[in-house]
Amino acid sequence: MIKSLAGKAIIPVAVTVTGFVIVCCLLLYSVMKVDMTANAERQATVLAGTVVKSTRYAMLQSDDENLRDIIATISSQQGVEHVRIFNKKGLIEFSSDQAEIKRFVDKKTAGCIGCHSGPVPAAKLGEMQQARQFVNGKGREVIAITAPIYNEPDCYNASCHFHPPGQKVLGTLDIGLSRQPLQQSLATMRGRMIIFTIMTLILTVGGVTALLVRSIFGPMKMIKNYCDAICRGDFKHGLPPFDGQMEELADSVQRVATELNKTASALKEAEDRLAVPGRQAEEPKDPPHNDETASRAEDLRTENRHGD
Amino acid sequence: MMRQQAGLKTCGPRTGMGIDSHAASPPETPLDKSNPDAQRLAARQKILRLRSRANRSLWAMALFLAVSIAALNHFSFLPPLPEQIQDLLGTPPPTLMISGLLILYSFSSLVLILARMIGDAVSHGGFYHVAYLTGFYCFYNLAGSLEDNFWAVFAAGATILSLEGYHLWTWCSRQINAENEKLDRLDGK
Repeated sequence: MIKSLAGKAIIPVAVTVTGFVIVCCLLLYSVMKVDMTANAERQATVLAGTVVKSTRYAMLQSDDENLRDIIATISSQQGVEHVRIFNKKGLIEFSSDQAEIKRFVDKKTAGCIGCHSGPVPAAKLGEMQQARQFVNGKGREVIAITAPIYNEPDCYNASCHFHPPGQKVLGTLDIGLSRQPLQQSLATMRGRMIIFTIMTLILTVGGVTALLVRSIFGPMKMIKNYCDAICRGDFKHGLPPFDGQMEELADSVQRVATELNKTASALKEAEDRLAVPGRQAEEPKDPPHNDETASRAEDLRTENRHGD
Repeated sequence: MMRQQAGLKTCGPRTGMGIDSHAASPPETPLDKSNPDAQRLAARQKILRLRSRANRSLWAMALFLAVSIAALNHFSFLPPLPEQIQDLLGTPPPTLMISGLLILYSFSSLVLILARMIGDAVSHGGFYHVAYLTGFYCFYNLAGSLEDNFWAVFAAGATILSLEGYHLWTWCSRQINAENEKLDRLDGK
């Protein structure tokens, strides 16, 4: 069992403040991580839309060379892991990875199953449902966006094209972006939050401890030392000035000590007088004083006994 | 010794603490105050009860640790919920709402434990906190965000149960000391 008052006062406060600040920081980090990931996915979706719009003219013109060049240029951008366009059947027509051209994508993978979970594939999906996160073959974490390329009047009205008006989706653009910048941002934020938490804890727990030591435990130790000195019969030392309730306590202790000192002196004086024969006869005025001192000492003894 | 005995007689909160102790434990048969042996036996039995009660918080912590290990594996040892029950339960609450509730729960629990410490009231060991925390694990798991929020629930549980355990341990230690002093008085020490 912890017996010191400092331990009893500081341990619960330290445990409470530390635990609560850590819980709040962990929850805050979790919420911010979700927000930042959602933001990154939104930006990737916007980027995918931009790519689809950039390639629109080349698609209308059926300019494969231009399309390949656009995809190669985009995939050379730092942070872009892959770009591919596949048709409705899942055949990859254009890709930054030459090896996968003219291959079929797996409809059961994370990016495809959202539309292809039922017997009839869904024609439209929300922004966040189009995003998926996975680790690619190179071991890098990727946020991938699949943006459907919808059939538009310009497509099925063009003289060169063969898409019927009833076909809703012509193909899909799949673009993968590295999660490394997001992870770096999260790591930086995590580090800063840890530093902030440690600083807050040091300030709070340290501040409470310092204030308790300065205002309560320090003065209490001084009063205890003073009482010990009084018990040893040392009445020479006093107490320094304190503030507030500590001052009241110190004043009370000092009053008791002064009374005790007076009584002890009076008792000693009385004992000395009794010890010297003949002195009592020379000083007839003393007995009343002696009686007063003795009765006062008796009173104090009685009070002490009651106090015990 | 005299001072300690006097302190026990005159100290108000200690008397209150004794009442709380009785309120929390099963009613005891009235002691024959003229029979010191019966008093000694009662004191020893009370010490044994208090010692076992002080260990309650450790059991609660062990239980919470076991639940946390299960939550770390997404409760994979449990069979998946049947679709009918899932439909009955409806959509899980949003993660933000669960997190808000976790903060509210942690804050109120810590304030209540501190209030009990100030009032020197009895602690129950924290088993009901384990139940609440398991609920949070389950809600996060149903919302699909347990992986992100596991450590927050774990930190909340560790803090609450540590504080509850500390309170129970100090409370029981004080009671045991009081009983030991009583035994000393009976033995004439």
